[in-house]
Amino acid sequence: MDNLQTTTNHKRNALLLSIIPGLGQFYNKQLLKGLIFLIFSSSFGFVFFEMIGEGFWGIVTLGEIPKLDHSVFLLIDGIIAIIITIMGLAIYAFNLYDAHQNGKRRDLGIAVNSVRKQYHNLIDNGFPYLMITPGFFLLIFVVIFPILFVLLLAFTNYDLYHSPPNNLVDWIGFQNFVDIFRLDIWRTTFFAVLAWTIVWTFGATTLQVALGIFLAILVNQKDLKGKAIIRTIMILPWAVPAFITILIFSGMFNETFGVINRTILPFLGMEGIPWMTNEMWTRLALIMIQTWLGFPFIFAMTTGVLQSIPDELYEAATVDGASIMQKFFSITLPLVIFATAPILITQYTFNFNNFNVIFLFNGGGPAIPGQNAGGTDILISWIYRLTMTSAQYGKAAAVTMILSIIVISVALWQFKRTKSFQEEDMM
Amino acid sequence: MKKNLLVMMLVFLLAILAACAPDRAEETTPDDAGEDGTEEVTEEAKPEKLVIWEDIDKSKDWLPAAIASFEEEHGIEVEFKELNMADKIRDQLRLDGPSGSAPDVVTLPHDQIGQVVIEGLIQEITVDETVLETYSESSVTAQMYDGKLYGLPKATETPVLIYNKELMEEAPKTMDELYAFSKDFTKGDNYGFLALWDNFYFAHGAIAGMGGYVFNEAAEGLDRDDIGLNNEGAVEGAAYIQQWYQEGLFPKGIIGESGGAAMDGLFNEGKVAAVMNGPWAFQGMRDAGIDIGIVPMPTLPNGEPVKTFMGVKGWHVTEFTKNPYWATKLIEHLSNDENSKARFVAVSEIPANVALVDDPIIADNEGAKAVAVQSQYAVPMPNIPEMAEVWGPMATALQTLATGKAQPQEALDEAVKSITTNIETNHPDK
Repeated sequence: MDNLQTTTNHKRNALLLSIIPGLGQFYNKQLLKGLIFLIFSSSFGFVFFEMIGEGFWGIVTLGEIPKLDHSVFLLIDGIIAIIITIMGLAIYAFNLYDAHQNGKRRDLGIAVNSVRKQYHNLIDNGFPYLMITPGFFLLIFVVIFPILFVLLLAFTNYDLYHSPPNNLVDWIGFQNFVDIFRLDIWRTTFFAVLAWTIVWTFGATTLQVALGIFLAILVNQKDLKGKAIIRTIMILPWAVPAFITILIFSGMFNETFGVINRTILPFLGMEGIPWMTNEMWTRLALIMIQTWLGFPFIFAMTTGVLQSIPDELYEAATVDGASIMQKFFSITLPLVIFATAPILITQYTFNFNNFNVIFLFNGGGPAIPGQNAGGTDILISWIYRLTMTSAQYGKAAAVTMILSIIVISVALWQFKRTKSFQEEDMM
Repeated sequence: MKKNLLVMMLVFLLAILAACAPDRAEETTPDDAGEDGTEEVTEEAKPEKLVIWEDIDKSKDWLPAAIASFEEEHGIEVEFKELNMADKIRDQLRLDGPSGSAPDVVTLPHDQIGQVVIEGLIQEITVDETVLETYSESSVTAQMYDGKLYGLPKATETPVLIYNKELMEEAPKTMDELYAFSKDFTKGDNYGFLALWDNFYFAHGAIAGMGGYVFNEAAEGLDRDDIGLNNEGAVEGAAYIQQWYQEGLFPKGIIGESGGAAMDGLFNEGKVAAVMNGPWAFQGMRDAGIDIGIVPMPTLPNGEPVKTFMGVKGWHVTEFTKNPYWATKLIEHLSNDENSKARFVAVSEIPANVALVDDPIIADNEGAKAVAVQSQYAVPMPNIPEMAEVWGPMATALQTLATGKAQPQEALDEAVKSITTNIETNHPDK
């Protein structure tokens, strides 16, 4: 539409000239900007050209000559090359866009920004971008890069017999995923472990959340004396480093020498329980330990939320004749859940991958006949076993992928459903 | 306009892709030739320096002197660095090797040899027959993989019987004696004899002593298809192991991951008369104030010795060294009688040198002597990578035996079945 009204076609000319970065800007008489684009892109090309080329070659072939080509390093170089290429393309696209925009301004007869004005523009509008750039770059290499690496690894046959430098790693497509579901030993183990992982996630997390909220509401009662000291005590399990707590519990649950079987249960008139050698009891013990470890955080958070609920709500409810239970279910609980929902979801995802407590308590044991994972192994600790003892890096990456997909999709679905992400304010 | 943009981007990308392949090809050829060339030339030429990676805290008081004598003799400078041998050296070598900063000589436990050879981290060495004769035969076997020699033995270790002299006046000669003693002594918190027989490393002694074996010996190393862990002898051994647990001589508290800590704790409190443990445990027990006696394991009821697993630590020449010849000379030097003796004095790890067994310094050392004698009956842990698949299923079987959840024959059949399946899945035929 704009074309009809203009006689010149600077827009097109500038865009075409910008195929060589900077020329379009020169054409638009923005010398400094053009120079920056030209120097930046030519040095970018000069520095990275060879690296990008080799990177692409490496990631496609994963090496051709054993001992000389190191497949894993080539894969890494390839990922870096891809990241750099995307960055380069982004700059290039911006260059084209900029030339096109300024050409358009000229077509419409608007003056092109002077250097000073461009500078102000950058500071005024681009400031947030300028500030997040370093962090963003860091993020790319610290977070995105490893994710890409695992993602790609899942499609290779990287294991002991395909380990550089003596051997090459090859792309094998979806073979790892097929194997996990096709080979008996993998399939039975995978589903057994997955089932327990889900039970564990929901059992342990729900318990710790319920206990935390319950205790917080209990301690928040108006007439209760000594709130400060009670709250401090409640927070204590959180203050002790988790791995120490777990190791102490591991000792306490020892079947012969642990204080639980030896002192506490006999005191209650009960027989000793096979905590460490029967998988059902080990699972129960683990859920109890995680509840112990996890509730203080929920407790502290809920306490904070409770104090921000205005008393008027309860007073109004009392006037309307609501019972205590009604007040709890219609006022307290919805408000607490609303305020803490995102954190509650992260608690679930955290427990889904809670390696520490499983590994430190009983090393994923006790052993179960007929599967290559222990009775309390969750997916993440099973993956650890796979990579550490069997050197099945490709398969482990594939299981990791499946695991990530589960966690990410559940989390995304939950986040989207949660009201706190949709509404600005509930009250 | 947008379409144009996309097309241009694609052209740009293709240009890059097209430019890369020849670039790389040109580079590989001279590189390749260069490497081969240098290797041939430097076969005998002396390098400026060699680098050793020794286990952590194991170089003090002997390695500097050993290096000095090597430098004096050959005029080659030697540097060393300490890294944890159990996993760090291997892991670091994987990274440092390809990037060009690898050492020339490393030390590794022998059960990692198969794995690192397949990965291509260490290389075959050639030494004179006279050199090999200075080490015990089994320790040299442990350094072989696929019929080739990959290192020289540095130290050996194997579990022995450690007893508390206050609780046990004389060490038993047979397991039957120990059993009778244990029956009598085990009461409340006191135990006559404890061993981590739910861990295959320790349980192997009884199982192999009764006639079981992991992989059978074949002409070229071990035969991974011949597993003897559910044969008659192995079942007998497993039944023998189960007996100790069933009769309450071994408590349930020493089963599983934290069992070792529980057992050490009890022994150090003076509540256990005897335990089966390796030479690494001696110092901690002495530090706990226990007056310990150390003897080889008593003989089994069938008259056979307990065939414990032997671990051999060795010196290896890395694949990445530019001077395999001199690196080999260096490890010969490090493991010769004189330096091995100095190493034993410094770090108390028992050398594999035959000449040193009768040397007063070892013969008069109770612990070293017991380990040396026990080593004669011991079997080197299999060093083929298939061994990685044995530990898990065997631990499962032994644990279910110990807790009485399964009977010996079925537990071992189950274990062998999963070992076989795991080997077939994870270790394709060569």
